[in-house]
Amino acid sequence: MNERITTPYEGRPAVWDGSAAIEAPLRLHRTTAPPEWMDYNDHMSESCFLLAFGDNADAFFRLLGVDEAYRAAGHSLYTSQTHLHHRHEVALGDPLEMTLQLLDHDRRRLHIFHEMRRGDAGELLASAEQLLVHVDTTAGRSSDLPSHLLERLDAISAAHAVLPTPDVVGRPMGIRH
Amino acid sequence: MAEPDVPDDVVPAPFTAYRQEVRREWLDYNGHLNDSSYAIVLTAAHELVLEHLGLSAAYRASRDASMFTVEMHLRYLAEVAGGQTLTASTTLVEADHKRLRLHTDLRADGVLAATGECLYLHVDTVAGRTAPLPADRQTRVDAMLAAHAVLPRPAVVTRP
Repeated sequence: MNERITTPYEGRPAVWDGSAAIEAPLRLHRTTAPPEWMDYNDHMSESCFLLAFGDNADAFFRLLGVDEAYRAAGHSLYTSQTHLHHRHEVALGDPLEMTLQLLDHDRRRLHIFHEMRRGDAGELLASAEQLLVHVDTTAGRSSDLPSHLLERLDAISAAHAVLPTPDVVGRPMGIRH
Repeated sequence: MAEPDVPDDVVPAPFTAYRQEVRREWLDYNGHLNDSSYAIVLTAAHELVLEHLGLSAAYRASRDASMFTVEMHLRYLAEVAGGQTLTASTTLVEADHKRLRLHTDLRADGVLAATGECLYLHVDTVAGRTAPLPADRQTRVDAMLAAHAVLPRPAVVTRP
């Protein structure tokens, strides 16, 4: 067991290339479901879906410009909400391909949507809708994004405007009859 | 693990059996409880509720059926550090013949740190499809639903 939770991208500095085309959706992270993510049934445990989506978010943060140096300077993006939908179980060794769509943002919040698909068949395994908030970690409260990050978010938002809004977005949990 | 034959006479309302000190391996680079670790805690707290309903590990092993999590919605309200003690207060918000919806307030040293909701579906693991709860388990679910009907409905449950 690790001493603490890490992501595969830790220590990798953010590099924004303003001239590069922006994928819609972003495809920044792929992985293979490892043995330590399996439960007693050899299916991936629920918290490990969040680990995988967290790694995808970290890859997105580093594209955007939120890395160790950014956090050390006193700001970060915190998760405010996560809404997961499980479609299919994930087995040991399944190739997992993640996408990320920027649904919306304002001067201090990001609304994003992740999908996890089987790398070979493309089958949707799970999705995660997340609300993130930009925080001043010293003051311990939300704060406006700096202009360079807002400009990058505007660019991603423009590229993602062509994507349809996934049907589960904004839908409250409930038993429907 | 033996399966209890009869439900307890008294259904705790809300259900508060979970109590756990934050583990070091749940922390992230900041020394705070990682996003994904809230799901570990929520799942463990809900497993105790499912155990009370006779729908936990022993049920899965003996009946070729299981409660599958179809949705989980976490709201992160406060940071949690190593050494703090986590407790859970769970309400059975809704249920029918094959679905359960649980809402939990997670507290760290008594302070509300997150809310978590899960929607579970009863699945026949051999046939690989949803199935109605057996009558003995439906009785327990209905008993908890009745006991929890008097509780204030969590403020967040109708929100997206």
